[in-house]
Amino acid sequence: MFSRKFDVGFKQAVAGIGAVAGIVFLIGYFGVRNEVLDVGYRPEQPVPFSHKLHAGDLQVSCQYCHGGAEVSAHSPVPTTQTCMNCHTLVKAESPKLKLVRESYETGNPLEWVRIHKVPDYVHFNHSRHIRAQIDCKSCHGPIEQMGVVSQAKPLTMGWCLDCHRKPEDHIVGARPISGIFTGKLHDMKHLKDSTYMYTPIKAQLGTPVALTEPAFGQWTTALPAHQVDGIPHPKVAGLGPENCSACHY
Amino acid sequence: MKPTFRTIHLFSILAVLAVGVFVVAVLSGNITWFSTEPPLEFNPGMDHQFKAIPQSSNSFFANRSSLREPLTGTVARNVDVYTLGQGDIDAAEIENVNPGLPKTEFVAARGQNRFNVFCSPCHNYDGKGESRVAVRGQWAGIPDLTRPETQALSDARIFHIVSAGQNLMPSYADKISTVDRWAIVYYLRMLQGVESMPSTSSSPTAGRASTGRSNLN
Ligand code: HEC
Ligand code: HEC
Ligand code: HEC
Ligand code: HEC
Ligand code: HEC
Ligand code: HEC
Repeated sequence: MFSRKFDVGFKQAVAGIGAVAGIVFLIGYFGVRNEVLDVGYRPEQPVPFSHKLHAGDLQVSCQYCHGGAEVSAHSPVPTTQTCMNCHTLVKAESPKLKLVRESYETGNPLEWVRIHKVPDYVHFNHSRHIRAQIDCKSCHGPIEQMGVVSQAKPLTMGWCLDCHRKPEDHIVGARPISGIFTGKLHDMKHLKDSTYMYTPIKAQLGTPVALTEPAFGQWTTALPAHQVDGIPHPKVAGLGPENCSACHY
Repeated sequence: MKPTFRTIHLFSILAVLAVGVFVVAVLSGNITWFSTEPPLEFNPGMDHQFKAIPQSSNSFFANRSSLREPLTGTVARNVDVYTLGQGDIDAAEIENVNPGLPKTEFVAARGQNRFNVFCSPCHNYDGKGESRVAVRGQWAGIPDLTRPETQALSDARIFHIVSAGQNLMPSYADKISTVDRWAIVYYLRMLQGVESMPSTSSSPTAGRASTGRSNLN
C-alpha cells in the first residue's frame, strides 16, 4: 500500500520513538527515586571534619557529639563548644579549624550542610528508636568509616515501613561506638581494650554473652528489672507502627 | 536498505546500553547523579514547609540560626542548671548532694555507659588517662583518675569538676543530666576500687519494678 521508502521510514520512526519512550520511562520509574537521587548525597562541609578520624580511629562515641539522639526527636550536630572541648588544646593552631575557632569566638553557629532529611510532613523521632537499642548503623550506614558523611539509606516511606514490619531483617543491634545504653554492666577486667571492654560482665561469671551486633530478638539476657527516675530505660524493640498518624500528623 | 538497518541496530544497541546502565545504577544503589549537590526534587510538594525546624538556618536573624537563645535570666523548663562556677569549691561541698541513687547494677551500668561516652575519650576506659586523644593529640595534662589524690576528692567535689569543669577540662553540665553525673561518680569510684561491683543478680531493692517492654509507655 505504502511505498517501500515510507514503510522503512515508518518502522524506523516507531522503533526510535519506542526506544526514547522506553528510556524516559526507565529514567522516570527507576531514576526519580530516593534510592538514586538521595542515597550517596555527600556535600562538602565548611570544615573538613572526619568521622573516620574521630569516631573510627579515636573511638569517640557518637553520643559524645550527637547526644540529643537518646532523649529527643532530633540528634543535633554538635555545637562548636563540643569541638573546642578538645580543640582548645589539640591542633589549636590548625588552619582547618579556623572556622570553628571563629564560630566559637563570635558565637555564630557553623553552618554544616544538612544531609539526612525527611520531608517536613513526616515526624521522625530518634529517641524512640535509640531506646529500643537500634544502632545508628541501621539507618545511617557505617558512619565511623566515612571521611565525608554520605547518605546510606533512602529514607523513603517504604524503607521505614519495611523495618517496622520486619525489624529482624533491618536492625543492627547496639554497638559500643554508638554509646547506646543497654542497661548492662560490662566486664571491667579488660578496661584497657575497647573491644573487650564490651564483653558483658556476665562473662566473668562463666556465661559469656556476645554483645557486638546481636541480631534482632537475640538479646540473651533479660533487661534489668528496676528503673531509676531520670535514667532512660532501654527496651527491647517491638514492631514499629504502621498507622499513618504515627508519622504524619 | 543497508543504512536503515544499521540505524535500527544502532538504536537497539543504544537502548540496551541505556537499560544496562540504569539497571547497574539502580541495583548497586550507590549511585547519585549529583553527589555533592543537594538531591534533585521532582515533586517538592510539601517537603519544605514555611516553618522553623531545629538546626535550620534563618536569614531573618543576625546569626542566621532559627534557634533563639533564651533571654538572659530565663531558664528552660525541666533543665537543672548548674549555677556554681569553677572556683566555688566550698559551696560545692555543701550543695552537691547525691539524690539517693541506689547502688545497683543498673545504675553502675548507666555510669559506665556515660563514662565511656563522655569521659573515656580523654581519661580512657579505665580512667588512667592514656586515652586515644591523649596519645594522638599529645595532651599531656590528663590526670590518672585512679591515683590517690583523686580518690581523696569527695563525691561532691568530683560532681563539681564534671559539672563546672576544671582548668582545661570542659564542663559537662549541659551534656549530661544530673542523675547521670551522679551515676558517673559512682562508676568512677568503682574504677578506683573504692566501691565494689554490685552483684549481678539484680536485687529487688530500690526503684520501680518494670517489665521489659511496656515501661516507656
Ligand atoms: C567529634 C564529634 C562527632 C562524633 C564523635 C560523631 N559525629 Fe556525626 N557529625 C559531627 C559533625 C560536626 C557533623 C556535621 C558535619 C558532617 O556532616 O560531616 C556530623 C554529621 C553527622 C551525620 C549527618 C547529619 C546530617 O546532616 O544529615 C550523621 C548521620 C552522623 N553525624 C552520625 C554519626 C554517627 C553514627 C556517629 C558515631 C559512629 C557520629 N556521627 C560521631 C560530629 C561528630
Ligand atoms: C574528643 C576530642 C575531640 C573532639 C570533641 C573533636 N576533635 Fe577534632 N581532633 C581530635 C584529635 C585527637 C585530632 C587529631 C590530631 C592529630 O591528628 O594529631 C583531631 C583532628 C581534627 C581535624 C584535623 C586537623 C588537622 O589539622 O589535621 C579537624 C578538621 C577536626 N579535628 C575537626 C573537629 C570538629 C569540627 C569537631 C567538632 C564537631 C572536633 N574536631 C571535635 C580530637 C577531637
Ligand atoms: C531508625 C533509623 C535511625 C536511627 C537508628 C538513627 N537515625 Fe539519625 N536520622 C534518621 C532519620 C530518618 C533522619 C532525618 C531526620 C529528619 O529529617 O528530621 C536522621 C537524622 C540524623 C542527623 C541529622 C540531624 C537531625 O535532624 O537529627 C544526625 C546527626 C543523626 N541522625 C545521627 C544519628 C546518630 C548519632 C544515631 C545513633 C545514636 C542515629 N542517628 C540513629 C534515622 C535514624
Ligand atoms: C531499622 C528499623 C527501623 C527503621 C529504618 C525505622 N524504624 Fe521506626 N521504629 C522501629 C521500631 C523497632 C520501633 C518500635 C520501637 C519500640 O518498640 O519502642 C519504631 C517506632 C517508631 C515510631 C514510634 C511510634 C510510637 O508509638 O511512638 C515512629 C513514629 C517511627 N518509628 C517512625 C519512623 C520513621 C518516620 C521512619 C523512617 C524515616 C522509621 N521509623 C524508620 C524500627 C525502625
Ligand atoms: C513509619 C512512618 C510512616 C508511616 C506509618 C506512614 N508514612 Fe507516609 N511517608 C513516610 C515518609 C518517611 C515519607 C517521605 C518519603 C520520601 O521522602 O520520599 C512519606 C511520604 C508520604 C506521602 C507523600 C509521597 C510523595 O512522594 O509525595 C504520602 C501521600 C504518604 N506518605 C501517605 C501515607 C499514608 C496514607 C499512610 C498510612 C497508610 C502513611 N503515609 C504512613 C513515613 C510514613
Ligand atoms: C576533653 C578531655 C576531657 C574529658 C572529655 C574529660 N576530662 Fe576530666 N580532665 C581533663 C583534664 C585536662 C583534666 C586536668 C584538669 C586540670 O589541669 O586541673 C581533668 C581532670 C579531671 C578530674 C580531676 C582529677 C584530679 O585529680 O584533679 C576529674 C575527677 C575528672 N577529670 C573527671 C572527668 C569525668 C568524670 C569526665 C566525664 C564526664 C571527664 N573528666 C571528661 C580532661 C577531660
